[in-house]
Amino acid sequence: MNRKWLPWLICALALAVIVAGIYFPILRKRLRQATQLPPQSEEQARRELTQTTPASTSGPLTKTRLFWSSGAGDGSLMPVTVDLPLANDPTLRAKQVLNTLLAGPVNPELRTLPPDAVLLAFYMLRDGTAIADFSEALATNIPSGIESEQMAVDSISKTLEANVPQVRWLKILIHGQEVDTLAGHLDLTRTFLVNAKAAPITAASAHAAAQATDAAKQPASKAASGKTATAQSKSVTQQSLTPATPPGKLTPPVKKP
Amino acid sequence: MLDPAHGGTDFGARGAGGVRESEILLFFAAQVRTALESMSFQVMQTRQGNENPSFDDRSAIVNSQRGAVFVSLHVGSTGLPGTVRVYVMSDLSASNDATGLIPWDRAQAPFLPLSRRFGDIVQGFLAPRFKGSPSTAQAAAVRQLRTTAAPAIAVEISSVSMEDRDALDRMAPGVADAIARGASAFRPLYVVAATNPGERP
Repeated sequence: MNRKWLPWLICALALAVIVAGIYFPILRKRLRQATQLPPQSEEQARRELTQTTPASTSGPLTKTRLFWSSGAGDGSLMPVTVDLPLANDPTLRAKQVLNTLLAGPVNPELRTLPPDAVLLAFYMLRDGTAIADFSEALATNIPSGIESEQMAVDSISKTLEANVPQVRWLKILIHGQEVDTLAGHLDLTRTFLVNAKAAPITAASAHAAAQATDAAKQPASKAASGKTATAQSKSVTQQSLTPATPPGKLTPPVKKP
Repeated sequence: MLDPAHGGTDFGARGAGGVRESEILLFFAAQVRTALESMSFQVMQTRQGNENPSFDDRSAIVNSQRGAVFVSLHVGSTGLPGTVRVYVMSDLSASNDATGLIPWDRAQAPFLPLSRRFGDIVQGFLAPRFKGSPSTAQAAAVRQLRTTAAPAIAVEISSVSMEDRDALDRMAPGVADAIARGASAFRPLYVVAATNPGERP
């Protein structure tokens, strides 16, 4: 048997062992790093696509109050102040603060909104009604319960109240549609009072809001301009914290057709 | 009127140990029913088994009764385990209807003061039994309460995050007794107010 090739084979094998010895720790390190990265969900990928960084990112920093859970476990919220380069336009400003709210606090235990939830669209009507359209993850991934659902809506409305003075009412849509409840409990057919003393929308911001609404010919704007908008215009004029006068004699309830 | 929430394919809140809100609530409802009947109340339920009537179907049952009070039972996903919260409907615009009829979608509006009173009474009985519970009822936009034309409260027990079902079950007698005592304390107030539901007695 010709053994001339044997030394070459041994050399090749030795070389392979040396190369593997060097490369294996590098490969192991990369693998470990890859497993530590959080998996990117479809919603997160969509968020990256849908979130446009609003204007004035290089502008002056503004103290921004974001409301997350206090951690007390009793449904209370706690404001956290961060510096953000907020836009002056109320629509852009609201998008900025809501996207930051969705991104969540440093401690994920204090989240009030699901990490996968995305703000798909945001509109401001001239009467101060803000329409926030969230992805389905807001409804499907939130812990079911009155307390948790109320806390989610409170965190959105309080954050808007603290940072966007033009917002008077809040209407929440899920994927462009009005839904009955958030996750089986909290009524989303209504508008929520954010700030009874909201600042009036200026002509410039109203124009921007109108442009944004016109430009976005999506289901969200359709829903807002249809049944929802009608209900809102009524509720804006009628709703108050307590009924103005107690009703008289109870009449039989109207049967729903 | 007892309303064990959820049912059917809607399990409601679910715990890590497989606890389902819709199932626990039937057990709680049975306990509350027994406690109420022992105080001579006539009790009806919006569901007896694993069916899932719609919000409006549930409201239709209670709205067809005279002099009823509505108690919707829930077990939440969050909150301090071992506590119980009573919710009443938050602000709701009253009807401006010239006919005097109450619109279905705002049926709760005329009953808000009574619901608040009823909720505070029940929460007052719950607070000493379940440490960490609030002393008064909370306001929330609970969908089920909105279409209910009666004094209405939602009682949420915390929570399905409890490690074992037994811990939740042990809360049932205390919850049942507090609701029954609350209903009993509220009864004379409601009889007086029945002819004029919006006024506080």
